Amino acid sequence: MNGTTLAAEPAIVMRGLTKRFPGVVALDDVSLEVAVGELHAICGENGAGKSTLMKILSGVQRPDAGDLEVHGRPVRFGGTREAEQAGIAIIHQELALVDDLPVAANVFLGRERRTALGLVDDRTQADETARLLADLDCAIDPWARTGGLRVGDQQLVEIAKALSVNASIVVMDEPTSALTEAESARLERTIARLRARGTTILYISHKMDEVFRLADRITVLRDGRHVRTVDRVATTPREVTGWMVGRDVAGHDGARRRLRGDRVLEVRDLTLPWPGHARGRRLDGVSFDLHAGEILGVAGLMGAGRTELLETIFGASDPTWTGSIRLAGRPVRFTHPYEACRAGVAMVTEDRKRLGLFPDLDVAANVSLCSLTKALRNGLLSRSAEENLVSGPIRATGVKAPGPHAAVTGLSGGNQQKCIIGRWLLTEPRVLLLDDPTRGVDVGAKAELYTLIDGLCRDGLAVLLTSSELPELLALADRIIVLSEGRLTATFDRQEANEQAIMEAATGGAPRVGGPEAQVPT
Amino acid sequence: MPSHSRGAGGAPFLRPGEWTLLAAIVAAVVFTALADSNHSYWQRPLDSLRDIARNAALLGIFALGSTVVIIAGGIDLSAGSMIALSGTVCATTMLALAPAEMAGFKPVGPAVVAAGCLASLVAGFLVGTLHAWLVTTIRLPPFIATLATLVGLRSFARALCESTTAAFTPTKSALINVADPFFKAVRDNVWVPVAVFALLAVITWLILTRTVLGRHVHALGGNEAAARLAGIRTDNVKWFAYVFGAMTAALAGLFYVGNESVAAPVNQGRGHELNAIAAAVVGGCSLSGGVGTVPGTVLGAVFLRVVIDAVSKIIKTGADVYEGLIVGIVVVVAVTLAQIGQMARGGRRLLPGALGLCAIPTLAVLGGAVVAMMASPRAGAATGIGAFVLLGLLRRWETRHTVVSAS
Repeated sequence: MNGTTLAAEPAIVMRGLTKRFPGVVALDDVSLEVAVGELHAICGENGAGKSTLMKILSGVQRPDAGDLEVHGRPVRFGGTREAEQAGIAIIHQELALVDDLPVAANVFLGRERRTALGLVDDRTQADETARLLADLDCAIDPWARTGGLRVGDQQLVEIAKALSVNASIVVMDEPTSALTEAESARLERTIARLRARGTTILYISHKMDEVFRLADRITVLRDGRHVRTVDRVATTPREVTGWMVGRDVAGHDGARRRLRGDRVLEVRDLTLPWPGHARGRRLDGVSFDLHAGEILGVAGLMGAGRTELLETIFGASDPTWTGSIRLAGRPVRFTHPYEACRAGVAMVTEDRKRLGLFPDLDVAANVSLCSLTKALRNGLLSRSAEENLVSGPIRATGVKAPGPHAAVTGLSGGNQQKCIIGRWLLTEPRVLLLDDPTRGVDVGAKAELYTLIDGLCRDGLAVLLTSSELPELLALADRIIVLSEGRLTATFDRQEANEQAIMEAATGGAPRVGGPEAQVPT
Repeated sequence: MPSHSRGAGGAPFLRPGEWTLLAAIVAAVVFTALADSNHSYWQRPLDSLRDIARNAALLGIFALGSTVVIIAGGIDLSAGSMIALSGTVCATTMLALAPAEMAGFKPVGPAVVAAGCLASLVAGFLVGTLHAWLVTTIRLPPFIATLATLVGLRSFARALCESTTAAFTPTKSALINVADPFFKAVRDNVWVPVAVFALLAVITWLILTRTVLGRHVHALGGNEAAARLAGIRTDNVKWFAYVFGAMTAALAGLFYVGNESVAAPVNQGRGHELNAIAAAVVGGCSLSGGVGTVPGTVLGAVFLRVVIDAVSKIIKTGADVYEGLIVGIVVVVAVTLAQIGQMARGGRRLLPGALGLCAIPTLAVLGGAVVAMMASPRAGAATGIGAFVLLGLLRRWETRHTVVSAS
């Protein structure tokens, strides 16, 4: 396919696109051409600028500099509607559907079909939606409540929405990040069908196997800059990965043996009900042990229960769980994070912006928040005592900030995350729960976080780590447990763990590799 | 306006927006002194000062309470009704303890006065607790919970007034006269409310900037979910905020009784909750929580009262006629000015599309009508036409500007 279509006028031309945010240049002079009918993969680590590029294409954000042409026409989108009119449809990574509306209403949201009287024509919408979905080879009821569908089906609804506007260009932002293997396979069939109609596809992903299966050409972005664009046949996954991270991907050498200490956390048969959901349980009989000086990785797809597991231990979820949790031998049942903090458990949350950061507080206040009593002089907070207090963790975690009273929102994602880890280190925890700590953090800061986490562990902290990136777990963790739909499906020692086996367990395929009891040392 | 919370003490006392507000207060006073044809600021400066000081102090006292609630990410719509309830609780308590003296407009004695005031503050504590319970346990949105008490408490106060007067006096009444010298003294010595306001402002400022609780208030308002996950007992922080809000309103209610020598639950404090929220917003509080300062609210309250006084002096009508209108305009203008730079940078237009087109005559008619009523019909017509032309030109400019940048 490639080569034949490249001669025609390009579908998209970007020239010198630049977008700055406070404290970070998200896109730096990026130029790119996408040919009509090709599947053009855009690869890059988190923070490379992929999503910003896509937001500019879809009219969500305006570039600070640079030009954009679609089918030879210069455009400057003022909103998503204008992008749609230009024939561009976006399948968002975070699905942009209204949960409470039926499928058909979502497909036609903002472009409702009307009857002669000007009322919404639900019947026509449903019929057209059914036809679109049939084209995609799936049987979703157009009248079904969207929020009740599986994530993979919701994604197909998004694609149907894109088709309903007769999009000639479809942008997919990491479409398989939340899909099972079967759903991914179905998506690939859908993509093939779209390409058969001549649709141009921009495919944003960092999964090499997908990219090399699907793409005609590959563009690599790193730190907001365009690294290079190559034909797929002219390169290898290893080479592309190297461009993505900008250096050899030796990986973190967490392989060096750590000294495993006493058992600190003992979780037995942890079950968390999920009222009103088909699965019934968010967590189902999860058991494991965590030792001092050990990093235990928790693998699993989105929705497998990783966050729920950490939140339940931390006392942040519904207190309706059953089973037992022992902290240093004593049974505990936290009903509020306050109690967990007091008992020496700390949790760095997954969604930093929503659940971790206080945008209105400065860097020092963000770090000192959980340990303010240590900054009191004569019963009142003292500015100098607070600065002294936070200087330790700021140095230990390597936060790069203009000063303790700088705005925390001006820091990069990695530095914000270090602030939050520093906040918890001040509480002198025994157990550190890290929920996907490197999400949205650039590659360099990721390596620093790895070193930091490894160091904390070697200092005797017990670390429970989840990650959406398997290589991260493989590099850092001493052992890895795998969750699938709330159940613990496998436990691996670092020597026997590999991506293949973990993915099989995460998608519910693999048998249990040794129960948690088998891991209990003497 | 991007704003960052002050850390623990030592940071600059006033932020840029607050200096602007201070300058605006001075400008309003100077303008009134020049424009007032009676020259009351020159002839009777002490009377004018006393008037503004008393009104600003009374508004400021419960505006400080609203500020704490707003920074904590909530809203308290019930302050006006709490003022009425507080006055009524105080008066009914005194009536129950000393019915003969109250009926005869005689002194009731310090013990009875103290009991009355204490009962009011306890009522404030109870109402604040009720708010916190509704918001945290029942999970009512603060707007709904305090809307319910806004409506309910005033009615409750009136019922309390009528049943108490029915029980302790010959006829039931919707108001209770308060003639004790303590309240007269509070009315006649304007430094009392001013001193109480100043003291309360200092205490509130200390709590918000120099205590763990204050930091938790900021954190709660800035990001509630994160605050909980940081181990902050957010329910307790909310309890404090709503109790503080209701108790400051109760305190203000006592001063209103003193000022008017009567507890009148039907009208006392009516609509004042919005003035308090306006003072906080003009002073830089964000209704989405987490942002706000005590100096800002103090200046906001003073600014509102100065402008209200200016209009009443210049137009020579009762201050109350235009009070609501002025508060409304001041809030809109203050918040607009605070984000106008952001609007320009973000390429946002003031008068976009069909909405912008309809906004032009709306604003022109509104401005013209206000000026016509305040000054003369001729001035109103001139203002209306002038505004129409200017806004039309602005829209034209905006439209052209956008077209140019799009090509």
